[in-house]
Amino acid sequence: MTPEELRRQFPILGREVYGRPLVYLDNAATSQRPGAVVDCWNEMTSVRNANIHRAVHRLAVDATDAYENARDAVREYLNAAEREEIVFTSGTTASINLVASSFGEAFIGEGDEIIVSVAEHHSNIVPWQLLAGRKNAVIKVLDIDENGALAVDSLEKLISQRTKIVAITHVSNVLGLVNPVKEIVAVCHSHGVPVLVDGAQGIVHTKVDVQELGCDFYAFSGHKIFAATGVGVLYGRRKWLDAMPPYMGGGEMIDHVSFAGTTFAPLPEKFEAGTQNIASVPTLVPALELAKLCLSDPELVAAEKAVFEFVFEALASDPKVKLYGVPRGTEKVPLFSFTVEGVHHEDLALVLDKMGVAVRSGQMCAEPLMDRCGVTGMLRASFAPYNTMQEAECFIASLHKAIGMLL
Amino acid sequence: MSLEEKKQSVIDDFSAYDEWLDKYEYLIELGKSLEPYPEEKKTDDKLIKGCQSRVWLDAEVRDGRLWFVADSDAIITKGIISMLIDVYNGEKAEDIEKDDFSFVEAIGLKDNLSPTRANGLVAMIAKIKEISRLRLTPSLEMTKEEVAPEKKNNDVLTAEDVKELQPLYDNVVLALKQVYDPEIPVNIYDLGLIYELNINKKREVNILMTFTAPNCPMADEVMAEVKESVSSVPGVKGCKIDLTFEPVWDRSMLSDEARLELGLDYDPEEDEANES
Repeated sequence: MTPEELRRQFPILGREVYGRPLVYLDNAATSQRPGAVVDCWNEMTSVRNANIHRAVHRLAVDATDAYENARDAVREYLNAAEREEIVFTSGTTASINLVASSFGEAFIGEGDEIIVSVAEHHSNIVPWQLLAGRKNAVIKVLDIDENGALAVDSLEKLISQRTKIVAITHVSNVLGLVNPVKEIVAVCHSHGVPVLVDGAQGIVHTKVDVQELGCDFYAFSGHKIFAATGVGVLYGRRKWLDAMPPYMGGGEMIDHVSFAGTTFAPLPEKFEAGTQNIASVPTLVPALELAKLCLSDPELVAAEKAVFEFVFEALASDPKVKLYGVPRGTEKVPLFSFTVEGVHHEDLALVLDKMGVAVRSGQMCAEPLMDRCGVTGMLRASFAPYNTMQEAECFIASLHKAIGMLL
Repeated sequence: MSLEEKKQSVIDDFSAYDEWLDKYEYLIELGKSLEPYPEEKKTDDKLIKGCQSRVWLDAEVRDGRLWFVADSDAIITKGIISMLIDVYNGEKAEDIEKDDFSFVEAIGLKDNLSPTRANGLVAMIAKIKEISRLRLTPSLEMTKEEVAPEKKNNDVLTAEDVKELQPLYDNVVLALKQVYDPEIPVNIYDLGLIYELNINKKREVNILMTFTAPNCPMADEVMAEVKESVSSVPGVKGCKIDLTFEPVWDRSMLSDEARLELGLDYDPEEDEANES
């Protein structure tokens, strides 16, 4: 399948902005949704809507089937050992908060240490800071080198007897470099330290096998990988999920309730209190099917590689452009954050927008990383498999024109 | 041009372009041509919060009217603030404070900015209004310092008196700024000709002033003009002017505004030396 053919599945990509064809390059913020996902959501809402897991009527059975099928699909996609290890949440942020709160409650005490990297999204920093504040725990930071690569060599030294968890991103939403998660997990596990992986970007660009990665937790959002908004996944190893107390109390997550005491439902319902996003969770099925195709179809893979090389070359060879996250090998995904000398990132984004090109500007929810790089913000162009070479060329040409206007 | 005419002129300029890209180009050019903003004024109290890009805004009062200076690290934001201050420069604080800024809606700028920029625009307007409001009623701190000489007259003012007299004091200053030296195009207040300005509890104004030269032929006319201008301020019950030539006036007594007006800080020789 070619990117042009893939595009036809995404109704929004045919629209115009300011009378120009839309070039959508903010996929790292959210991807667009294919017709199959929209149809699935529509069907769940207009034909199969009922609350799940409770009533015995036909609609409830239909809705429950769709919801639990999605769990199976996610288990298969991630190659998790058991379907009970898949917990539905509202997104990556909720998944990480769940672990920080619940794992933290059970396993982290005063003086214990949590390691995060300097290249984390705020969602993988702030939940740990809140936990550290509650427990008087300490946050330690793993640095990056001048090219943006994680300083994995120094991880060994950073880990101590007090280290209780390492929370690291699979692919930074700014640098676009795939971190050596397997290697990190091996180092951490050799000290008996579990690892949480923020997979918000990683799930989109790499084939994730949680057993192969060996991580203890993997969190991602549906909306960045073609599914509906408001649904996310937490994969957690059974040994941890079993040992963790519930995160939120409410319906669905209980076994038996009395004022003398309440017992909790088994996994995964223990962590799914309240009415879930029943219309959106099933959209993960068509979304992941398409994601799988994007990562395996030779034509799509080759097209994405060509787009990557064109854009990377154009940006890296421009003396005015400073690119953040320079790969040593093939570990970069088509996500490019950069600054242009003498031009404010937001001016560029505004002018590009008027040319029909949607890119992101600012701190990108990674203020510590901006400080580390010594900038107040960057411009980011993030590509999806439906972005064509023609769009990549349009982006580079528009960028040059915008720089010319602003300088 | 009146305030309304200036607004209409901006609306006309904007509507001359059909495409938003061209309107942005216009803003970029405005931003590039904005007068430089003093580095030392890039302080937190001048910084506008609510903008993703940073904006500094300050204003000074000259001849009873507000003159703004601004800067931003982003050029389009700079263009927007430049457009705003071009409209409001030279207007009276009270007129700006009560203006509804609806012309900004008329040019459609708000709808065509990203939400963060639109918030920035709202913050810029709020800051312009805040500055105007502050120029209407200066803080108590300033009052104490400036009215301090009053105590010498054995007419001790309480903090309440000072607060109460402050608006009157400001209006007297504005009145003094309406009077110009016959030979220099700067008002007598900014020239530094007013050595003392006291207002007592009875709301009588006592002024001690000088002239740039002891043999000024226009002295009587100017003093009469000062008296008339001050006496016409509502609330003033009397005005007494004393003349002194001790100390003798010199250029160091000029206010910063006046120095700027007269271009006194500019030394062409020094500039040339720096370039070579």
